[in-house]
Amino acid sequence: MANTLRLYLTCIRNTLEAAMCLQQNFPCQEVERHNKPEVELKTSPELLLNPVLICRNEAEKCLIETSINSLRISLKVKQADELENILTKKFLRFLSMRAEAFQVLRRKPVQGYDISFLITNYHCEEMQKQKLIDFIVQFMEDIDKEISELKMSVNTRGRLVATEFLKQFI
Amino acid sequence: MSNKMHFRVSYQICILADQNHSNNQCYSFHDSAEKPIEVDHHLYEFGSVEYHVKSSASDPQFTYLSISTPLLTQGVLLSYGLSPYTTQMVREISADFLEIVEPAKEGYQLTLRLDFSKIPRDVDSLKVITEVSSVQAVILSSQLKEMLRNVNSWDTSQGMYKPIKLVYHPREPFYVIRQSQKIIAVFPMRFKEYSDVIIATSFFQVSGGEYKLSVISNIKLNSYCCSCKKGDSAYYLFGQELMDVGSSEKWAKVPPCSWSPIPPPELRGEPFEDLSTNGGFVSFDISSRHIEGKRLDKTVWSLLNFYAYVKHHVKCTRGFIQRRMRKRLESLVEVLQNSSLEEDGRIKKVTGWRYMKKLVTLPSKSKILKRRCGDFTGKIKRIRFRIKIHGFGRFRRKWLTMPKFSSSIGYTKLE
Repeated sequence: MANTLRLYLTCIRNTLEAAMCLQQNFPCQEVERHNKPEVELKTSPELLLNPVLICRNEAEKCLIETSINSLRISLKVKQADELENILTKKFLRFLSMRAEAFQVLRRKPVQGYDISFLITNYHCEEMQKQKLIDFIVQFMEDIDKEISELKMSVNTRGRLVATEFLKQFI
Repeated sequence: MSNKMHFRVSYQICILADQNHSNNQCYSFHDSAEKPIEVDHHLYEFGSVEYHVKSSASDPQFTYLSISTPLLTQGVLLSYGLSPYTTQMVREISADFLEIVEPAKEGYQLTLRLDFSKIPRDVDSLKVITEVSSVQAVILSSQLKEMLRNVNSWDTSQGMYKPIKLVYHPREPFYVIRQSQKIIAVFPMRFKEYSDVIIATSFFQVSGGEYKLSVISNIKLNSYCCSCKKGDSAYYLFGQELMDVGSSEKWAKVPPCSWSPIPPPELRGEPFEDLSTNGGFVSFDISSRHIEGKRLDKTVWSLLNFYAYVKHHVKCTRGFIQRRMRKRLESLVEVLQNSSLEEDGRIKKVTGWRYMKKLVTLPSKSKILKRRCGDFTGKIKRIRFRIKIHGFGRFRRKWLTMPKFSSSIGYTKLE
């Protein structure tokens, strides 16, 4: 299990290293004096690269879409049951609502995915490319770990509460 | 009974008790005391509960407390008023202090006459007043106690009985089904939000699992241990866990509880709107050993407050999840903070998300240029001003600097 995760993360890291070559300050071809992330607009096909979809299994996948001046990374997190489903939704929505704290986080995930990042050329100018990639890979690991810990904590709390309730009858 | 209403009723009674006490002190110490006042208050609580507190100035010793409350079951009991068992439970609150007035005041099910001259003068007075003010809970719980007390008295030839619908809290009814040697309490669970349903469902499955784990361990203990392979650590550890849980005797006394997403067969024939739920059905099998002696009070309390208990647990779990997420957000942002240092290796401590931006950003070329220029001009100044005149620096800063016409922060807003 851990081996497949390592391979999955390594593949994503290598793909990001290749994809994160963004041109500085590419002006928009549609509107004068505007500079927009082309991966969001998708108006000029010549500025877009082929999207890469990396799947660990049916439930977990990562979509990397690149353009000349921006990069979008969308993640689908595994959800084994209903409890993990609601915990994942709550947690990722919580993070998305506070996207300004992460700068590279998108407020709304791409359809079909749980969370999305948007990295533009400005981010690459301000931040170190290697650190950004490390952050995204670490983020993926931390999210999985946090969801598992949350689920375990909720079940442990439920067990303790049930024990206390049943003790009333003794 | 809600805490707020309990407080209001007990507060009313306390005021009247104090007033009565001050009147008694007037007789003994010949001091002027508060004059008795007319009291005629109606107090309302959600769920159609009404209280009427009345005291007249001409007869300040006695106060009348009337209660109107929807009963647990709206069946046969209503036509006869309160059952003798219920009136007996009410009398047991305080035989000296209160007396049941019959017939009750019109529009109310019970009227009590409180004699403040017999109220104890010490600390017990508050205890008695508190018990009187919670008489509504006594009425409701006594009905369920009466049902549970007669768990073994049903003739087995009667077979299955029709479920009795009990309403302790509005819109949250539960069912009591009498069977031979036991009573089954079934709680249809409903929640407003989907996430509450999931949290509660996992809680019910855990609750049912706790009981089942102890039952399985008691029944299959020996056979399981025999089938364990020696040297197989996984099976051995699992068997050891079962032995630990099964060895405790306390779980054998717990009423069996189960959860199912569909209505149990005992509830067939009930109205559809009562059986449509999103949280499934929780069942407890109450037998005679769960109502012996003082356990009867605990069992009744647990059953009547089961809904409130579950909802409180769901609410606390949501709060717990929220706190965890906030804490995790800080640690996730901290990853970016710790991932890089400034160019010269110093770390400045600045709060907020701007801290993250400052740490992970590379200094731009213009900033590097400015810094180098600043160093160069500083060197020039040091060379030019090698001859130091005491006080000249202050004079220079005050009189020889050019005034700034623009704000260093930004533009000045024009009004």
